[in-house]
Amino acid sequence: MMQVPVAKAEQATSAAVLRIAAVSKRFGSMTVLQDCSLSVAEGEIVTLLGPSGCGKTTLLRCIAGFWNPEEGAILIDGQDTVQTPVNRRPVGVVFQSYALFPHLTVAENIGYGLRMRGLPKTEIAARVAAALETVSLSGLGGRYPAQLSGGQQQRVAIARVLVLEPRVLLLDEPFNALDAKLRGAMQVDLRQLIKRLGMTAIFVTHDQEEALTMSDRIAVMRAGRIEQVAPPEEIFDRPATAYVADFIGSSNFWQAEAQAGRVILPDGQDLSTSLTGPVRVMSRPHNLSLQPGALGPWQGRLLFQRSVGALVEYHVTTDSGDMRVMAMRRPAARQPVEGDTVTLGVIDPGLCAVYEP
Amino acid sequence: MKPPRNPALTDRLGIGAMLALAVLSLVILVAPSIIVLMISFDTRAFVSFPPQGFTFDWYRQVFAQDVLVEAMMNSLQVGMAVTILCVLLGVPTALVCVRGRFPGTTALSVYVLVPHMVPGIVLGVAVLFAGALVGIGPSMGLQAISITVFVLAVMVRTVQSRLQRLDASLDEAAANLGATPFQALRTITFPLLMPAIMAGAVFTFIEGFDNISVAIFTHGFRDRPLPIELLAMVQSVNTPLVAAVSGVQILLAILALVAVSFSIGLDGVND
Ligand SMILES: Nc1ncnc2c1ncn2[C@@H]1O[C@H](COP(=O)(O)OP(=O)(O)O)[C@@H](O)[C@H]1O
Ligand SMILES: [Mg+2]
Repeated sequence: MMQVPVAKAEQATSAAVLRIAAVSKRFGSMTVLQDCSLSVAEGEIVTLLGPSGCGKTTLLRCIAGFWNPEEGAILIDGQDTVQTPVNRRPVGVVFQSYALFPHLTVAENIGYGLRMRGLPKTEIAARVAAALETVSLSGLGGRYPAQLSGGQQQRVAIARVLVLEPRVLLLDEPFNALDAKLRGAMQVDLRQLIKRLGMTAIFVTHDQEEALTMSDRIAVMRAGRIEQVAPPEEIFDRPATAYVADFIGSSNFWQAEAQAGRVILPDGQDLSTSLTGPVRVMSRPHNLSLQPGALGPWQGRLLFQRSVGALVEYHVTTDSGDMRVMAMRRPAARQPVEGDTVTLGVIDPGLCAVYEP
Repeated sequence: MKPPRNPALTDRLGIGAMLALAVLSLVILVAPSIIVLMISFDTRAFVSFPPQGFTFDWYRQVFAQDVLVEAMMNSLQVGMAVTILCVLLGVPTALVCVRGRFPGTTALSVYVLVPHMVPGIVLGVAVLFAGALVGIGPSMGLQAISITVFVLAVMVRTVQSRLQRLDASLDEAAANLGATPFQALRTITFPLLMPAIMAGAVFTFIEGFDNISVAIFTHGFRDRPLPIELLAMVQSVNTPLVAAVSGVQILLAILALVAVSFSIGLDGVND
């Protein structure tokens, strides 16, 4: 039986449009989603981010109602959706393949849902025209999907669900089918469109850049679990687990000992933690500093350096392991060369994270 | 391995050999029909090759003989009945085989093929006996049923393979947009299956029209179909009239294919 672990009072006060409560989904003996919980507020764009096969599409399909989870509940506007058949859920799906109907024109594709609802022809025509306008495809209503570019097909797929005014928009890797060059600009456009319409959306991707562009909050998934849900900056600055730190942006890890609530960093500074015993410490490359010469306790040898625009990326080997440092380029005379001894430091210990080993 | 001394030459020889084989198989495929068609216009009253002269007389005679015209009408009716039965039975069977969510769909899709694998005469005898059991004697009805059993697999397989290549998310998209399963079937799946259904219809119609191995046991003895009439004729008549009857059948098959390719395109037939 379905359990609804959400207290009634909490439901009533919550402004969440979509609430996923402790959802688990199995295929035979394989658990594909485990205890996933997530709330999405009105007008919010939340991204499910994780490597291929971690269960993003599965969670989306559970929300859309193509599959039902074995445990947990999915609530839309506080209503449990378990009994609601697929074709009555107020959810619009933009499929990874777009799934445009090849034998219908663009206008017929967009009007399809309205036709299924039995709306009069004149109203369908008016709303289709408005939807075409919204996604800047006016004039292409008579074309067939095969006669459109990938980007235009994507917009038809979006218009086709927008016209039904769903409570939640679900987008499964909508940029996958597109040219890498087009994606950047289209991501910004899509985010602005969703925001302009005030839609609540769940966006799926395995691409962290895309997640950072599109999201109000990111839910990082790993092997069927949601590891952390937070705004992009927080995911980046305060990754909740070593996995999140490793998956988003680049990171340096090293082993340390925590004693009496503190961890000593290799450069002598220290950091408070709730863990004791052996731990792993993480710092982003741009939170490390590098000085030529032997100036402090954390010394290493410069293995490699390359310029990345105004920044320089250094690879340094130290007693704590190999570290990557991102820093502003120095005047040529003070720039170390490969093989030099250098001294590393942590710029802000507060931005280091401490994890179980 | 040593590279061939003259790769360009061996390549060209290989391609040449392939082309020759392709042309040869095409000739083997169409030569008999062409020869029959040529003979059917012969002015002499006996079958001989190469033909001499040119006349439509034999065709005129085909349509002047009541027996032949009646046989043609019988075959047309059986052909249409087989087509209708195959569409009515085959399309839902294919849907169940591909989309069914219960155990036994694989068994079903294999079982559907069995009657097509059995030699036609064996199937003909089997249907004759089965018909006798339920009180249906040899007749145009039993003939249509027996040929349907024989060729249903063609319809099922044609529709099935098209269905398997349809993007499954089309159906899900329809459902997500508010369509009931039946609406999705009517507005999305069926229109997209149409080319396959049409192609299956052509093949089952032609089989219904000119099948002999099954029909020889199940046809009504007073409503003889054209192929049976033709077989009887060959034994007693030695004029190009026989060739003209074949010519009519060939023409009919070509017409059916052309009609379908006009409505769905030849690519659709290939699908
Ligand atoms: N219909 C299914 N039957 C069995 N396993 C499935 C099915 N669909 C997906 N899976 C499995 O579930 C896991 C998650 O898949 P999916 O949600 O598609 O991942 P993602 O979208 O994150 O790439 C994968 O290991 C996949 O093999
Ligand atoms: Mg996926």
